[in-house]
Amino acid sequence: MFDLLIVAAMLVCALQAVRGTRLLIAALWLAGASALTALMMYRLGAPEVAVIELSVGAGLVTVLFVFAINIAGEEPPVKLRSLVPAPLACIAVFCAVGLAAAMALPNLRTESVLVQADRFATVLWEQRNLDVILQVVLILGGALTVLGLLAAGPAHARKEQQ
Amino acid sequence: MPNIETLALLSIALPWIGAVVVWLVQDRKPRLQHTLAVLFALAGAVAAVAMIPRRTEVNVLDFPLGSAFGHLTFLPDGLGVFLAVIAAVIGSLAVIFSVDYMKGEKQLGRYYAYVLFFIGSMVGLVLSSNLLLVFVFWEITALCSYALISFYNDDPKAVAAGIKALIITQVGGIGLLMGALFLYAYQGNYDVPTFLAGAAKLPANVLALMAFGFLIAAAAKSAQFPFQTWLPDAMEAPTPISALIHAATMVNAGVYLLARFYPAFEAVPNWKLAVLVVGAVTALMAAVMAIVSNDLKRVLAYSTVSQLGYMFYAIGAGGVFASQFHLLSHAVFKALLFLSAGAVIHSVHTRDMREMGGLGKQMPLGKVVMIIGGLALAGIPFLNGFWSKELVLEAGHEGGPMWAWLFMLVGAGLTALYTLRFLTMVFYGEPHSGAHVHDAGPAMKTALVPLALGTLTTWLLAGQFGQFLGKALPQGHEVESTGALLMQIATAPATLLALAVVALGLAAWWQRDRLAGVAHALHGVGTMASNSFGFEAINRGVIRMTVASAASLRTIHDGVLNWTVMAILVGRVVILAILALGGA
Amino acid sequence: MMSLSLPFLAAVAVLGLLGIGLLGLLLTRNLIKVVVGIQILVKGGMIALVLAGRLSGQVQTGQALALTVIVADTIVSVVALAFAVQVRRQFGTLDLQALSTLRR
Repeated sequence: MFDLLIVAAMLVCALQAVRGTRLLIAALWLAGASALTALMMYRLGAPEVAVIELSVGAGLVTVLFVFAINIAGEEPPVKLRSLVPAPLACIAVFCAVGLAAAMALPNLRTESVLVQADRFATVLWEQRNLDVILQVVLILGGALTVLGLLAAGPAHARKEQQ
Repeated sequence: MPNIETLALLSIALPWIGAVVVWLVQDRKPRLQHTLAVLFALAGAVAAVAMIPRRTEVNVLDFPLGSAFGHLTFLPDGLGVFLAVIAAVIGSLAVIFSVDYMKGEKQLGRYYAYVLFFIGSMVGLVLSSNLLLVFVFWEITALCSYALISFYNDDPKAVAAGIKALIITQVGGIGLLMGALFLYAYQGNYDVPTFLAGAAKLPANVLALMAFGFLIAAAAKSAQFPFQTWLPDAMEAPTPISALIHAATMVNAGVYLLARFYPAFEAVPNWKLAVLVVGAVTALMAAVMAIVSNDLKRVLAYSTVSQLGYMFYAIGAGGVFASQFHLLSHAVFKALLFLSAGAVIHSVHTRDMREMGGLGKQMPLGKVVMIIGGLALAGIPFLNGFWSKELVLEAGHEGGPMWAWLFMLVGAGLTALYTLRFLTMVFYGEPHSGAHVHDAGPAMKTALVPLALGTLTTWLLAGQFGQFLGKALPQGHEVESTGALLMQIATAPATLLALAVVALGLAAWWQRDRLAGVAHALHGVGTMASNSFGFEAINRGVIRMTVASAASLRTIHDGVLNWTVMAILVGRVVILAILALGGA
Repeated sequence: MMSLSLPFLAAVAVLGLLGIGLLGLLLTRNLIKVVVGIQILVKGGMIALVLAGRLSGQVQTGQALALTVIVADTIVSVVALAFAVQVRRQFGTLDLQALSTLRR
């Protein structure tokens, strides 16, 4: 019953994050969805990733969103008409998700088979070390890109002033 | 002593490391850049040469990369090591030559970085035995070739030529990729030795598709009919690049590909005939074009196309050994010709042969080495070009149809004719330019002399070369000693006939004034040849069609995210629906 | 009740998040909202990875993959947000339609 509540709340949060017109509110709903995702992961038996998701997904990313929205500023509150007609979008999404659900849910196994005995750290560092390298590269690349992007503005402006 | 694994890795990695190092040294220190480039190229060449006595027939250096890419493996067998040595040694000679040729040029870092990157990739291409990896190296060489053709990137002609070369070789790349994916689909991995050993296990139609895909790839890379148009335009590159990439190494990748996979595709119906026809048509057509061109480098480019045609012809006739032997000779003497042409162009500052003439006195060394190279190209005894070309003709006489052999004989005569023509135009006659002409510089000489010596002597190694290639040759090829092989060539009746035709070609140039009537009668052919037999027009038509279709497809590429996501979603629904119906 | 077991609910959550994320990507015209849509989509993916790990008995491998996805997703969001800030500075709008220059 508890799980049902989590899933329902998570979906409501997600829907609100997508629906709302105000960006700041959307970011807060997203944080809620993220926190509930972390809870769901914990229930599924993945506490390590749940903690990371809680701190990074719900914490860091939300802060960044708020930060970015602050700098970029809110759009004027006029609601822009969506380019894809809303009913068409709903039908397409419904078809895709419905088909996937019809195919996947009836065949879903409900109990898990033998449980991997290794610790998370062991698996991550010893069996998936390529992933770790990839993550390091990603983080470095991301940091450099952001630095470049944010530095480009002032430098550009300076050049124009000259 | 290092083992073969280390050497194979070193011969690829050293030039690559050199590329990065030279790139990192800023352009403010050109002397350091020259020195470093030469050092790294030489180190790579030493590693490649050291592989010769340690070659094996089994895969070495196994890097597992998961199920999708298979194992990255390298196979330093005779054929692979042979081409790796050619790439590394001629590559380092071209780099040494560049020290003089590129003196004072801007952006040396970019130049040397690409050259070294190319050398490493070429060695990787011929050593790797994972077909996907072969494809990756194949494309890297194409990319380097593009970047170096367009090296003078403020010259629109050079940029256009680079893009042309890139696009045409990409067409071939698609053929190779198709072959690789078919191999993966039917064999479950990309391993080349497994494929060569058990090609018959694949369905016949799949094998045929692969065979012709590889033929397209090889023809595009080696500038064979109908893809020959990119190579003459590629002469906008600096001359050491023309010598290295567009004469001695990269264009040989096509011949390598066909030779490597010959055992697998031999039995595919009509495949050998197709290879032979492509080679024969190209050899003759390019020889005719070489006669009418007035640009020294273009003449050499056409002759490269023509000689590559001879190699294709030899493979088509079953003479894999002949093709590889000619490849060796050609790599040496054509690199020599290009580099000496580079020395000439460097000192007279023009490529138009009508403005040269009488350079023999001012450039004694340039004259001697270029004549050695030219005579080898013409097939004059006893230079290396003579032996290998006769071997090719002999293989064609035994294994190919008569008409194609006659084609090639005429081609040999024409080769002698245009060789004599460009040698005379450059070194004899009245001097046309009043400018002061200087002989090749010291670094140029260092590169030219070994190549000239090679042109004079590589044929002495014919027997060892056959032994060296070993298992890479088709079954049943008997390895003979040098003496026996040379005797066999020298005494074959075909050789005498070919020599007679070559002499006829030489005589035709000697008596060119008396043959003015014939020349006049053939004027139409000449005009057609200088318009490259209409292939340029076909190229332009294809480009126009592509651009038009792209413009009309632009409306669906509007760059609006929502519709893009919509399209992805619809595609997903379709795939899911197919799966649902198929699963039911 | 068997149909409301934890794996079943998790699968529903995955499908729901995927659907909502796609809906967001289809309907929004605001660059920052696009990032929100991607975030929701990826959260569905993460739960799916953990669930798959649990069902196949390889919880830790599932976790490791989910961690990679978290890292990648965070980096994507950060870069996209930086882009959005920069776009707003340069062009004064976040509207996709107005920003598109490929249209004719």
